[in-house]
Amino acid sequence: MAEPILAGVAESDLGETPDRNWLDNAAIATVRALEDAGCQLAEVDGVAVAGGDDYMPALVLSEYLDLDEPSFLEGTEIGGSSFEHFCGHVRDAMARDEADVVVVAYGSTSKTGPGRNQSLEETHPIDGFVRPTGLFRPPGAYAMAARRHMHEYGTTEEQLAEIAVATREWAAMNPKAAQREPITVDDVLESREIAAPFNLLDCCLVSDGGGAVVLVSEEKAAELGVPEIAVAGVASTSTHRQDISEMPDMTTTGAAVTGPKAFDQAGITHDDVDVAEIYDSFTYTALVTLEDLGFCEKGEGGEFVSGGTTAPGGELPMNTQGGGLSYCHPGHFGIFVLIEAARQLRGDYEGDRQVDDAEVAVAHGTGGLLSSSSTVVLRRES
Amino acid sequence: MTGRVEDRREDWEGPVPVPTGATVPFWDGTLEGELRYQECDCGHRQLYPRAVCTACGAEDPLFEASEGVGTIYTYTVCHVPGEPGFGERTPYVVGAIDLAEGPRLLALLDADPDDLEIGAAVGVAFWQVSDEAAIPVFVPE
Repeated sequence: MAEPILAGVAESDLGETPDRNWLDNAAIATVRALEDAGCQLAEVDGVAVAGGDDYMPALVLSEYLDLDEPSFLEGTEIGGSSFEHFCGHVRDAMARDEADVVVVAYGSTSKTGPGRNQSLEETHPIDGFVRPTGLFRPPGAYAMAARRHMHEYGTTEEQLAEIAVATREWAAMNPKAAQREPITVDDVLESREIAAPFNLLDCCLVSDGGGAVVLVSEEKAAELGVPEIAVAGVASTSTHRQDISEMPDMTTTGAAVTGPKAFDQAGITHDDVDVAEIYDSFTYTALVTLEDLGFCEKGEGGEFVSGGTTAPGGELPMNTQGGGLSYCHPGHFGIFVLIEAARQLRGDYEGDRQVDDAEVAVAHGTGGLLSSSSTVVLRRES
Repeated sequence: MTGRVEDRREDWEGPVPVPTGATVPFWDGTLEGELRYQECDCGHRQLYPRAVCTACGAEDPLFEASEGVGTIYTYTVCHVPGEPGFGERTPYVVGAIDLAEGPRLLALLDADPDDLEIGAAVGVAFWQVSDEAAIPVFVPE
């Protein structure tokens, strides 16, 4: 099957963007990603967008960008993994010659924008079983899953903290990262309690910002002369929705299903993976995803991440821009794992920030409360 | 009766359940101190209540009364309030409770965080928070 080529990537301004709304940030990221690809806005014939504060985001972004009758419109909302999920739909659309240049975009004002305050009348009936408990979501929900993992496999808070420490080492080399000061395991353990077993440094940032990637057909990529970063495998699934109590086994995510599928499509094994960009909403999210993707055995994630395995110079470079934990987290971090994976495969960086000869990257998104999982394998073809 | 109902309507400032559709029999039960779950003719048991059985697709599976006991599958201690009205309550414990009958339910655990462990036995009580609903709260046995 023809593989879409990831031709351009970009972020909007990150951190605090009080003069922008979600759509501004999505549009800014889009035009920057198009510039990165060497494409014109007028060439865009498809959009895929999630998040935002509108229930028809694909239409809103198309209108905002004044697109001329786009042939591919995608606004499926499965949370932070939506963008990886879109890659499969874009692949299908390109196989049918439905689109040549598709923008996958996201924008938010999670930090400075208006909060959402829904009444219980307006929401899913399950919310009556969740919100009166006072559970602080998302951190408390992920924390419950982490505690179960600790119970079943002996995972420790120190091991979870190792992920935050290694990720911060990457962030220290990224000028765009919000948090760049080195931290230690003790710093994580001594940071403010949020939802036990999580402390503040187990939790991702809250940021404004947006991101976009431009996916083009192989023909278009040749015309643009961009490095061929191909979408070689994609798979998605879900295990539940917004209530962590509905997750059948809190120690196993949908990545256990999507990882093998995406790896099989791409014809790769774990040894082929040069760099992993894994959604890290919390330290536990990255740990359990590494297990489920098969980088180590189930239950051995804590041991696997200890000792700098995922840090610069480690065996499996992970979240090389500093992740949601230290770089930015405007709500749906899935767009940013694709952006960084592409940059690593293109060899955009210098020194320790660049993973040597990176040819294969895994970009994995997680949405909801460990609810949706989408894996993308990216491979540099030229 | 599976649990005591304590009237907290005066001082409850948190979100209150809004019984609708399939959840109405559940919340009606809570006012009487009864924790209900759905048990379909096919044998499948489920919570939260739904208009369909997720095993066989039958519509409007009937409700049964739970014994009101179960075990802690996992829990978290919230040091940051997650909802309006919880600011004065921190730190408080929210758990996922596996009922003896099978279904799992998210609920406040009325207990000292230091005294809890996964697998521990708990029993239900109810806090009435509105004229329409009492929320199930679990206490260690």
